[in-house]
Order: sequence, then structure tokens, then C-alpha cells
Amino acid sequence: MDFELSTEQKDVQGAAMEFAQGEFDPDLALELDRNGQFPESIWKKACQLGFIGIHYPEEFGGQGLGLFENVLIIEAFCRVDSGIGSALSMVDIGSEVILKFGSHEQKMNFVLPLAKGKKRLSIAFAESEDGRDISSILTTAERRSEGYLIHGRKRFVLNASLSNAFIILCKGSKEGWTTLIVERENGGVEIHPIEKMGLRMVPFGDLYFKEVRVPFENRVGGEGEGIAHVNHCHQVMGLRSVAQALGMVEGALDRTIKYSKQREQFGRKLSEFQVIQHKVADMAVSIEVARWFTYKLATEFDQERMDSGFLTMAQLDVGRKLISIVDEAVQIFGGYGYMADQAIEHYFRDAWAIAVELGTEEELKDVIADGLLGPFNKK
Amino acid sequence: MFFELNDEQNAFRNRVQEIYEREVSPLVEEYERKESFPVQLFRILGGEHLLCLRCPKEYGGPGLDKISECIAVEELNRICVGIGAGIMVQGGLATDPILHYGSDELKRNYLAPAARGDKIGAFALTEPDAGSDASGIRTTALKQGNGYRLNGSKTFITNGTICDFVTVAAYTDPTKRGTGINLFIVNRDDLGFSVTKKLEKLGNHSSDTAELAFDDCFVPKERMLGEQEGGGLAQLEETLKSGRITYGARSTGVGQATFDALIPYIKRTQRHGEPLRRSQAIRFVLAEMAMSIEVMRYVTYRGAWLYDQGLASMKDASVVKLFCTESIQRIVQKAMAIQKNIGLVKENPIQRFLRDARLFKIPEGTSEIQHLVISRELGV
Repeated sequence: MDFELSTEQKDVQGAAMEFAQGEFDPDLALELDRNGQFPESIWKKACQLGFIGIHYPEEFGGQGLGLFENVLIIEAFCRVDSGIGSALSMVDIGSEVILKFGSHEQKMNFVLPLAKGKKRLSIAFAESEDGRDISSILTTAERRSEGYLIHGRKRFVLNASLSNAFIILCKGSKEGWTTLIVERENGGVEIHPIEKMGLRMVPFGDLYFKEVRVPFENRVGGEGEGIAHVNHCHQVMGLRSVAQALGMVEGALDRTIKYSKQREQFGRKLSEFQVIQHKVADMAVSIEVARWFTYKLATEFDQERMDSGFLTMAQLDVGRKLISIVDEAVQIFGGYGYMADQAIEHYFRDAWAIAVELGTEEELKDVIADGLLGPFNKK
Repeated sequence: MFFELNDEQNAFRNRVQEIYEREVSPLVEEYERKESFPVQLFRILGGEHLLCLRCPKEYGGPGLDKISECIAVEELNRICVGIGAGIMVQGGLATDPILHYGSDELKRNYLAPAARGDKIGAFALTEPDAGSDASGIRTTALKQGNGYRLNGSKTFITNGTICDFVTVAAYTDPTKRGTGINLFIVNRDDLGFSVTKKLEKLGNHSSDTAELAFDDCFVPKERMLGEQEGGGLAQLEETLKSGRITYGARSTGVGQATFDALIPYIKRTQRHGEPLRRSQAIRFVLAEMAMSIEVMRYVTYRGAWLYDQGLASMKDASVVKLFCTESIQRIVQKAMAIQKNIGLVKENPIQRFLRDARLFKIPEGTSEIQHLVISRELGV
């Protein structure tokens, strides 16, 4: 067992922190959050410096490193700013399915431009009201001589209004789901933006497809193979969301430490009160455990032996910590914690958006319990 | 012992529900979005005698008790916490010191118009460097001729940009930490008074919050509350005692609203092909929420009853505030989490309840301060 980052990993981590601290201007972050704007210029810079897609093979614009290194970058970015960090972390989530299951041509057309900052690609699987349940897929792909004709709608799609293409799941003539890449420029895609409380730099939207044409070469894998893509995608997205949450709680702790050493009440620094010291200690313990759990999963993912049951445990554990730590940070900031121009308020809203992404306690426990006790007959 | 509201109180609850539904509900979305307070409500609710509930009839109020005030606060917060904040300050922090310590003249000039809704009140204690530590305020009111000159700045002031007068805490004797404080009434048009900044917040968007500055602001001595210099902190304590009980009613109101909004969602939602209402875990969560709301309500009304009997200690008030404002957090958090992405959407009231209720653990003594107050009175 080795619990030390390699020199290369330390370099990646250091470079990501340095970049984020240099570029994620707090005033800009407030403005982007308020206006619901994506951090375009920072994203372009992050692409130029190789932070986006560090784990892609070199021929597709990456550096051939692991998802572990990607996790380190996400963690650092979200630590420095929950909003900008999340926007940069979530901009390329569409890449994973194509990297693992796509053709060489698809990788050149969709993954390479992601790394270069030329295009954005979204995942659009779910159609349920909450936007994440995929038990019912009604979007249809009709097979025609020149390709597929798509009808349907997708909900709560991340980066909907920004993306050039969407990876969707459809019902075809064959059993199972088929995965297709819908290019926006081919027309027929209507986007209804959703205004929301947190992650305001990552626009959400519902997609409506009316007679959308998709050529055969935009099918990922074979017809009816969609479930494998979904499973892989959920693993990567789950792990990356955990990394975002980890970065956010670290950022919340950083801010709390800084604030409690500055702020004086009753003639003493907040950091000199036992109750505050213990809150900080609790936060640090929670974070330390969460970090090693996350790193373990990322290591195993790169070794292609990650147990999805453990990932679910991490989602549950880190998700709970995310809410409680950020809430405690707001509390220590007191009235300033509640004000929009102080450094912690948007962490509260962004934390909730990521917590929702990680899944509800009840669902996650269902999955964990199934793994431990054996699945029960759920009609 | 009676654990029921009497007929009169029940009738009052029905009446305020009807009025708030008619007058407040239609305004919520617009003013939450605009991040401003619907000032027209002061005249409307003043006309209904629903602004300063404990103000006696001789000054134009309905002369009701704390229990009635809690009923009104609970019902208003069910509809909107932000709007509830502005109304609460009008009938609480801004005018309570006048009610308890003001001269007849001050009551006629400030309490009566506040009760009618002709004047909007604010209350200013907190400063940029003095929040939990109220004795640490730096605003001074130094004697000069026939009055006092106020200097200093205040922050997080509800109704700050819209107020006609503000009840301000300042040191008449800065050498006497804690005891050298007095309360003054400053008019909006007094020279040297200014609103320096409107503040943006996580929630309570329809309440107005501002930073205020006092720059050599002269206030005649008649506008000091109480006859002599010093003793303002004790007046503040009495005001906060009442205010802390009110937070129980705010929490209960939002808790009820959250529960009422969540139930239809649970009933109609299928998840992974199963009705959500059949999930044992979800049913347990609902049971816990229902329990918390009930307990919050009893704790609040017990506190209000003690207050009306003149029996409430600061510890009693702190117990109400700490218990209720902490309990509400779990209710809004669970409601938010259960709804997943739907919960985040701007149109969904649950995310508003979460952001709004998050405030409650902070003002009028943070949860940490309530712990201190309670532990101080335990005699250990």
C-alpha cells in the first residue's frame, strides 16, 4: 500500500491549485454566479494548459494520465471556487462514453475538440421529472436509410444551452437502448433553460427533439448496447461528483479557518473559542477520511477494478459531509455567511446542487444495502 | 393545563390566514425576484391591525398577546419568510423598545404610525465588527446640548432602505462596556443618517437588508428611550427575549409550508418504477418531519404563554429559538434532498424555504449564543 501521491501527481495538483488561485477571481466568480454565465475565458485557458481532459489519450488532446489526475484537478478547482471549479469540472462529462465505447472518428470529432476548448458535449440520458432516473426511456430512434430520426425529450441536461452535441439514450427497434450523438447544428433540438438555485455557471435545460436526424456514424457502439454506456457514465460522473464535493468541503474549511482567525468577538478571535475549534476539528476529520476514500476509488477506477458499491458509499458519505460542512462554515461566518458578497454563500447553493447530483440518501442506501444483503424482490 | 388555542385565537388564526392569502400570496414571486419589499403591504396590513399586534388600543394597535403574535407570524411565514421578516421587525425589534420604554410622545409619534402602517420601522444593533458580541458595538451617541450626536455604522438591517425611522443602539458612555448603551430613534431625514448599501443575501430576498451610517447625526434627547443614560442593553435583552420566541413561530410556519409542499410531490412521484410514498425510508422521514413540526409549535406556544404570563426567562426564549431554528434545518434539508433536481428549480418553493430558513440560526443570537445563554442559566 502506498498512500503518497507520485511526484507527477503532486505536480498536477500544484499546477491546478496555482492556476485556480491565479485565475478564479472572487469578484468575477460572484458576477458569473449572479448572471448565470459560464466562465468562458478561464475555460479556454484551462484547455490550453491541459487541465481539461488530462486523462484522455494524447492523440485526442489529453496527456494520457488517469482519472486520478482528473480528480486531483477537479478537487483543486472546486476548492478554490465552487462555482468556477464546477463549471470547469463538468464541461467535459460527455467525453467518457465516447472514450470508452466510441469509434476513432467519434473521438476525433467530439473528444479532441473538448480538450481543445472548441466544443462542448453533454450527457442527456434521463427523462424523469427529477432528471436522473433512467428506468423509463420514451425517446425513440426510428431507423431510416440515411440514419435515425429522433423524437422525444430529455430533462435536466447539464450545460444544455452551451453544448454543441448531446449523447442521448433512445428506444430503437432492437431490445434495449441505443446511444446516439445528436449534433445541435443539424437542427430540431429545442432547449428550455432551467433557472436554479446553485451551480449557476452550469446551465441546466430540458431538451426537446422533433424529427432530429442522426447519421449512423453518430451511434455509439451497437444498437441496444446503451445500458453499458449508462453504467460506465454513472461511475465516472459519480466519482467526479465526489471529487467536486471533496474540493468544496476543503474550500469551505479553508475559508472558515481564514475567517475564524480574522474575526474578533468578545475581544478574542473566533479561533480562540473552544466551540469553534471543535467545529473546525470535526470538519478536518470528515475531510481527511473523505479524501482518502475518494483517492482509493480513483486509483481503483484507473486499475479497472473499482467496486461500484464502494462508489455509492462514497457518494453517501461525501454528500452528507458536503451539506453539513458547508452549513457549518456558513454558521461560523454568521451574518456574513448569509450575504451574497462574502466568499461562502455560493458554496451553500453549489453544495446543494452537487448533493442532488450525488443522489438521495435513501436511493444510495438502497443500492448499498442491496450489495450487502442481496437484492430484494422489488416488484 | 390547556394545549388548545381558544375559540378567539382560532378565529384569529382563520382571519389572518385569509388576509395573508389574499394580500400577501400574490406578491411573493414578484418581490422575491425583484429582491425588494412590497412596501404597500404596510398600509394594507396596518389597516387590518396586523402590524404591531401587542400595541395597545390607545395607540391604535389591537392590544393582543404574544400567543396571537406567534399565530400571525407562523401564518405569514408559511406564505413568505422574506416578507415576514419586514413585518416582524415592524411589530417587534423596531417598536418593542418604544412600547416598553418610550414616552407617551414617542408612542404617539412612532408606535401609533407604525401600527397603522404610516411609518416603517427598522432596528439597528449589529455592526460590521459586532454581531454576537452586542456589547462590542462602537457606535457612539455623545451628549451635545439638547441631544446626542450619533457616529458609527450598522449592518444587516432589515427594512434598512425603506424605513422612516430606525431604533438604534449606541454608547452614550463608551467607557462603560455593556452598561453605557442607550437606544435612540433616528428619523430617515435626520441629517447625518444615510443608507450606505443594500445587501444581497442567500435567501429572504423579499426582505430589505441594508448597511446604515450615522455621521454626526444629531438626535434630540426626547428621542432617547428611557430617562437616563445607560441601561440600553437591558432594554435590548427584553426586546430580544420576545424576538427569540418569534423565531419559533417563523420556524414552525416554514416547517408547515415545507411539509405541505412536499406531500403532493411524494404522492405523485414514481422513482425507479416504484411510488415514492411506499418507501419505508421516505415514510420515516415524513413521520419525523410531522413530529418536529408539532414539537416546534408546542415549544413556541409554551414560550409565548410564559411571556404573556410574565414568567419567561431569557433561557426560556433561547430554548425556543435554538430548538426550533435547528429543527427546521433538517426539515428543509430533507425536503430539498428528496426532490433531487426538481428541488433546485427557481419556481420550486422548497429551495426558497431552504435558503430562507437557513437564516434563522443566525440573527437575534446565533445558535452558539443561544447555547451560551442557556448554559449560563444552568448554574454550573
